[in-house]
Amino acid sequence: MKASIAGKREERQRRQNYRERVKAMMSQAIPEKATTMEASSEKAITTEESSDKAAIMHSEAVAESVAASVLEDWSNIRDDAIIQQQNAIIAEEAEKMPFVGDKEALSALAAEYESGSSILKEKIKILEEKYAAIRRTRGDGNCFFRCFLFAYLEHVLESQDKTEVAHMLNKVEECKATLLGLGYLEFTFEDFVLSFTDLLEGVIQGTEASISYDELLDRSRNASISNYVVMFFRFVTSAEIKKRADFFEPFIMGLSNVTVEKFCQSSVEPMGEESDHVQIIALSDALGVPIRVVYLDNSSNGPSKLDVNHHDFIPSSTGSSSPNVTMLYRPGHYDILYPK
Amino acid sequence: MLDVSRVQKELVEIDRDKRISGVSITLHGDDISHLSGTISGPIETPYEGGTFQIDIQLPASYPFEPPKMQFLTKVWHPNISSQNGAICLDILKDQWSPALTLKTALLSLQALLSSPAPDDPQDAVVAQQYNQDYPTFVSTARYWTETFAKRSSLGIEEKVQKLVEMGFPESQVRTALETCGGDENLALEKLC
Repeated sequence: MKASIAGKREERQRRQNYRERVKAMMSQAIPEKATTMEASSEKAITTEESSDKAAIMHSEAVAESVAASVLEDWSNIRDDAIIQQQNAIIAEEAEKMPFVGDKEALSALAAEYESGSSILKEKIKILEEKYAAIRRTRGDGNCFFRCFLFAYLEHVLESQDKTEVAHMLNKVEECKATLLGLGYLEFTFEDFVLSFTDLLEGVIQGTEASISYDELLDRSRNASISNYVVMFFRFVTSAEIKKRADFFEPFIMGLSNVTVEKFCQSSVEPMGEESDHVQIIALSDALGVPIRVVYLDNSSNGPSKLDVNHHDFIPSSTGSSSPNVTMLYRPGHYDILYPK
Repeated sequence: MLDVSRVQKELVEIDRDKRISGVSITLHGDDISHLSGTISGPIETPYEGGTFQIDIQLPASYPFEPPKMQFLTKVWHPNISSQNGAICLDILKDQWSPALTLKTALLSLQALLSSPAPDDPQDAVVAQQYNQDYPTFVSTARYWTETFAKRSSLGIEEKVQKLVEMGFPESQVRTALETCGGDENLALEKLC
């Protein structure tokens, strides 16, 4: 009896050891900081379990039956089916809506809510006083980054603001240094950086690499460019959050009760993860670009005059400049807005 | 189109410190989208001392889609199918990010061996045993490691020689071993 209790305690201790070891490993495993991990492959077990040959025989019998089935099972992995199904849904969505849509008059928004609530209709009327047009983006979880991509580059294309481009290229260099400092390997982000800087330099006219407005729109709709730039923004956002972990931690803990590291790993870096205030603040600060988000929802502030709320995300480094990137937020989705 | 240059950079990087990381990757042949990974069993676990082969297939949209990974070496673990080696791990599914690499994925598999998550199982039988009869789970996992994960630690040349000595032509032996991910038992079955 005593022995079995001792045995149990030992097992508990073992389990505890596993957990601690795993924590250590996980923190090393992501991102690429695992170079100091011990080489455990050489350490062969010397304590042989001498009993129960029968159990080994059993294992071998199981193994043989398993062996026969291994190769046949290759073709019907459940995850494959799930991923295929997801891809089908994405493809279906893609046919309805490009990553970045065409510019539409704001009346298109009103048309969408014809049979909607009176609060929404009222708010859209207020929006129409200040805003001229809307450009929709695909609702694939990347819409915030996709809005930022197009609205920012369109602004630079129209303003031909070379100072802004130089400023942004500096910020990009800073972001690369931050990423390297955090332990990310250059090859994991260099292609994404290039996709963005190519577009950024391209929208400035008068060089061989210059691209037109139509070309910008085409490239923003092309997955192998658009997704790369979105991924660049995800890297930038994640790096900024990690760099200023002390600042972001209370927001993140309040939002989802996970660590900063885990938040970045699960809510920022994977494609398709939606963005909220934390991501917007981080991207805006990291790249020094002010962003205005206009909120359209069913909320009303009592009987007083209805208003449409907005929030300006002004990076600390730029002082109080007014936003050139404006987005319309409806719960769960961002589109681009154009002021009058 | 698979981002070949990215994969090549990953292979160089993983090769550089494979001795200390405990994970490595080899090419299957000319096809860079089909790779073989190896991880060593973490110490102080029932997998200690074992070498585990992982089949890795890269979808055309890698690194935007996760690599498909599956244990070729049979392993007794709540999150790995004892039937076909399929793995239940979030970063190989919806939590994958292009910020991750084949190396971080293999390291995560190594971490998974250390830290089973029986409440989110891939193999219900193993998970049930883990929860209800932990000592038996540990000894079974250890037997499986001894039985399946140590034999494959033989060098490929030794396996070739062994099978050639049994009377099979060398070229056929090599092809069989290659298609079976280096598992000499599977290769033998194929040859017979």
